[in-house]
Amino acid sequence: MRLEVKGLVKEFPAPLFSGGTPLRALDGADLEADTGVTGVGGANGSGKTTLFKTLAGVLEKDAGTILAGGAAASAERLRQLAAYCPANPRSFYFRLTAGENLRFFGALAGLSPAEAEARAAKLAPRLGLAAVDLGRRFDRLSEGTMQKVSLIRALSRRAPLLLLDEPFRGLDGIACRGLLELIAEAGKTSTVLVTSHSRELLAAAAARTLRIGQGRMPPGGPQ
Amino acid sequence: MNAAGVIAAFVRRDFLAEKSYRLSFALGALATLANLAVFYFIGKLFGGGLAPQLEPFGTGYFAYVFTAMAFFGYIGTGAGSYAGRLRLEQTQGTLEATLSTPLGVPALLLSMSAWNFLFATFELLVYALAGAFIFKLDLGAANWWSAGLVFLLSAGCFAALGILSSCFVMLFKRGNPLAWILNNFEGLLGGVYFPVAVLPGWLIAVSNLLPVTYAVRAFQLAVHKGAGPAMIKGDLLALAAFDLLLIPASVWLFGRAVRRARRAGTLGEY
Repeated sequence: MRLEVKGLVKEFPAPLFSGGTPLRALDGADLEADTGVTGVGGANGSGKTTLFKTLAGVLEKDAGTILAGGAAASAERLRQLAAYCPANPRSFYFRLTAGENLRFFGALAGLSPAEAEARAAKLAPRLGLAAVDLGRRFDRLSEGTMQKVSLIRALSRRAPLLLLDEPFRGLDGIACRGLLELIAEAGKTSTVLVTSHSRELLAAAAARTLRIGQGRMPPGGPQ
Repeated sequence: MNAAGVIAAFVRRDFLAEKSYRLSFALGALATLANLAVFYFIGKLFGGGLAPQLEPFGTGYFAYVFTAMAFFGYIGTGAGSYAGRLRLEQTQGTLEATLSTPLGVPALLLSMSAWNFLFATFELLVYALAGAFIFKLDLGAANWWSAGLVFLLSAGCFAALGILSSCFVMLFKRGNPLAWILNNFEGLLGGVYFPVAVLPGWLIAVSNLLPVTYAVRAFQLAVHKGAGPAMIKGDLLALAAFDLLLIPASVWLFGRAVRRARRAGTLGEY
């Protein structure tokens, strides 16, 4: 699926009566990506996460256009099309097991319990996640294991647009290798965008990398 | 998206989370019985004499407050649970993840409090069993069809109030004036603990603005006097009017509140 972004603007208003000023996180960003893997690099605070959240439909843009498969994509449509793996892996229910969490979020994405369980069981060993960890309560998992569960949540949707924000964070070497393979496989059928502060991992994951700085991305090809 | 599947997923999630706090789960059920015992002994203290304000309902104080508490406990679930659930999602950091999925606002609203309603049904069963076997209440005169109609109209209305209340949580996180009114004044002014006729005239006028007043009165009359729909027509019409106004308004406003949070980037804040 072809993704075209033009002049994307996202501004966060200052809290009421705070005396602060609005924060312009995206200041006319442009991006084009086709089926395959595209890397997005940039310094802290450059707008990567805001870009991903806007493309995932979690945030609503203030200006600009987003075309998905040639058609204008509202935030609602983007939530149908995109699977988003946030940089922070703690957005799960801590009192539930990892498997129960995946089953719950799978249901919200339209997966039956059997489908969610089967996909989790298939993806877990690829990331070095033991079956016993899927049955463990989420708050008893290590940070790296939480990240693996978060990746499974996004990958199991098999969405046409896959947005992986810092997916290598906290992963061990085996899991990193497994994830690189999974990203490459997803890139055969989906448009995959990946961020990372590791130039090596980003280069290994994506043949093409764009850079974002101060909320802007120069239009066009490889940087 | 399969709405039944989503509701089932929410119920399962909330059941598993509640079950993981085992002591709280058991104490919740015991608290219901302890609450009832307080009013049972208050009723005994003041004897079986019928207060003039209770005459229209044809029952003593304990039976009155028992019925009102059972009823209000259930319909009050709608008023209280939406804001509570939403706040919990915010503090857990799961709200943004939940709203990153294709889940729409109507499906979210149907699912979010489904577990609370199920648990309230269980509490209602505890009330019914306690009423029949421990407190030996006589509800032989009840018109259950009529009571069911009041129940249905009231549940919709209170769920709408709960959704409106959750809009404040979505936008301001803490500081919820509607929840404050619902928590502090519904029981006092709505005839839950005593008939509103006890109140001074100006407070009766205020209580007439609240749906709970119509709901509790109609339910009491249906249960204790066997009142049919024709006898409680005024209260039923008032509840239907509240439903017509509040249900679409609350769903629309909640959708607006979510959209505003998406624009302001505050979905993940608490």
